[in-house]
Amino acid sequence: MKTTKLKIGFYGITGCAGCQLSFIFNEDELLSLIDLIDLRAFPFIKEFNLEEKFDYVFIEGLVANKNDLKTLKKLREKADKLVALGACAHTGCVPAYRNFTLKENYKHLLYMKRTEIQDVKPTPVDTHVNVDYTIPGCPPDKNEIMNFIKDIVKGKEPKINNNPVCVECRRNNNVCLLDVGKPCLGPITRGGCNSVCTNGKFECWGCRGLTDDADIKLLVKLLKEKGFSEKIIKQRMRSFVGLKLPNLEKIMNE
Amino acid sequence: MSKTIKLNHITKIEGHASLNLSIDKGKVKKCELSAVEGSRYFEGLLKGRRIDEASELTSRICGICSCAHTIAAIQAVENALYIKPSKQTIVLRELLTLGERIRSHATHLYFMVLPDYLGYESALSMLPKYKKEITIALKMMKIGNQIIKTVGGRDLHPVTATIGGFHNLPSQEELDELRKNLEEIKKHAVSTAKLFSGLDYPYINRKTEFFSLTSWRKFAMLYGNLKSLNKEYLKKDYQRYIKEYHTPYSSANFVVKDEKTYYVGALARINNNHKKLSKDSKKLLDESGMKLPNNNPFSNNIAQAIELVHSVDHAIEICSKLKIKNEKIKKYRVKAGHGVAAIEVPRGILWHEYKFNKKGEITYANIITPTAQNLRSMEEDIKLLLTSIINSPKKKIVSEIEKLIRAYDPCFSCSAHFLEVNWE
Repeated sequence: MKTTKLKIGFYGITGCAGCQLSFIFNEDELLSLIDLIDLRAFPFIKEFNLEEKFDYVFIEGLVANKNDLKTLKKLREKADKLVALGACAHTGCVPAYRNFTLKENYKHLLYMKRTEIQDVKPTPVDTHVNVDYTIPGCPPDKNEIMNFIKDIVKGKEPKINNNPVCVECRRNNNVCLLDVGKPCLGPITRGGCNSVCTNGKFECWGCRGLTDDADIKLLVKLLKEKGFSEKIIKQRMRSFVGLKLPNLEKIMNE
Repeated sequence: MSKTIKLNHITKIEGHASLNLSIDKGKVKKCELSAVEGSRYFEGLLKGRRIDEASELTSRICGICSCAHTIAAIQAVENALYIKPSKQTIVLRELLTLGERIRSHATHLYFMVLPDYLGYESALSMLPKYKKEITIALKMMKIGNQIIKTVGGRDLHPVTATIGGFHNLPSQEELDELRKNLEEIKKHAVSTAKLFSGLDYPYINRKTEFFSLTSWRKFAMLYGNLKSLNKEYLKKDYQRYIKEYHTPYSSANFVVKDEKTYYVGALARINNNHKKLSKDSKKLLDESGMKLPNNNPFSNNIAQAIELVHSVDHAIEICSKLKIKNEKIKKYRVKAGHGVAAIEVPRGILWHEYKFNKKGEITYANIITPTAQNLRSMEEDIKLLLTSIINSPKKKIVSEIEKLIRAYDPCFSCSAHFLEVNWE
């Protein structure tokens, strides 16, 4: 009996291509992984892209202009399940930090004068369409993408880690970077990255988004006690997940 | 007879780009190559952030060359504050850059370029017949990634590099492991150089200036002055000779040097610095039959393949010689400053410039990517290519133009395109 493979598409809107590369960088397993699925569209590396119905569409990037919005809505219609791939699609990532900066910051930039393609407020995918799954991270972990695909092929519900980065960081016997005076966001950030940044003695910036029960208040209090200014705390927390922290101003003032 | 060609979404490149052409009575009336992706305004959102955050934030500009942005941001700040990194730091940054170059060139050559010349739509559809070639590409990409992960802590958007050094250093054992793996892929880099030297490329010849870093000591990567033909330029004066302007049709800026188009990338580096290539890569360059200086932009594919061999050689040399010392990050005092960095990244020269106040907060940032510098050259080359194929069938014209665009290895920073060709 012939089984039908899942029809899959990989697309990018405004972003850096890093998430699509993360999938390709499953070097040893890439070919067998592609064998498991019917990869119908992947314009980054394919010229012929079958734009029909998809079982799953993986989308990288955030919505930054009207073109993005059009592409996203079209893909949502064609996809049975839509997967937000990586931090831009998930939280808006660094480009969405623009929402928390002054308009005058952009006055001197040449490309601001452009009118033909109109900008929209930089926002993640779920601001505009329904998202079925999210693979977080900037970049998303390549094993996580691989395991996600293996799961859906088997008909298994893919799981996303909901423990804070601290769990893996402790397991890796790292020195706590908060204790050595760095503004680490590990306690509120979703793990699953094997604490890759703190392993390298670099504090967590929160690229994988917030855990479901993230205690923002507690971390803000802790960072204040450690002597970090409100400005720095806000800038750091908003670098990757600003739009997911609508009450930050209020929390800061409490 | 007049006709219009519109490539709305060019595939197999990094970035959202489109091309608008109109031809009238056998002459090209309009040739507009544009980036259509959303602007992310990195230079604006850096304002008010601290100098030590610039590398982490700007690495998000690009997935395939995030190490490049990280290092350029760090170097610009170091130049502003007169911080001199240690020899070990410099060598590790070089290794990081080489890893990225190996990964980027291998990805570009096999996934973006090769299918065009073997008559396939993608590397994936080449698989049944050319599994060996694709496997070779993946092996080289893997070692490139392994270098970046070992030195930079993560294979995309590295985490360990910072102003004055590295948060975390690789171990001697890890470097040994890298050396072994690099020696293992050397033969693949060599076979890549031979394969790409033997492909049948279209030929155009437009005189232009090849612009790159140059150094009397080695094949320039992170240090040296700028060189074009026989003239040298200083980095810090770049705004005197390089001008950015915008056009209504593109979200990327266009760049000219001394009011003229110029070329950056592997071909410029080989044209300007071929004497400094490693022994084996020089030999392969001789055997390739590529005449120097070479004005054919399609030769950039050969130049990248030659650089792949050189990069593997250079990385092996670093991994064999470097004895890791447990160095601390250099301490520095924050004060107001202004610094420029220009480094050679896979696609050419990358510029980062920052001004900051005494608190170390960025007040001005300017970033010029290689693709922005090449955009005008690409337009001129497309026009020239068209003159020789203007009477060919539509399909041929489109495929030749796409080959040319891909030869430049443009990075419009991310991608989403489906080829749509409209003829009128």
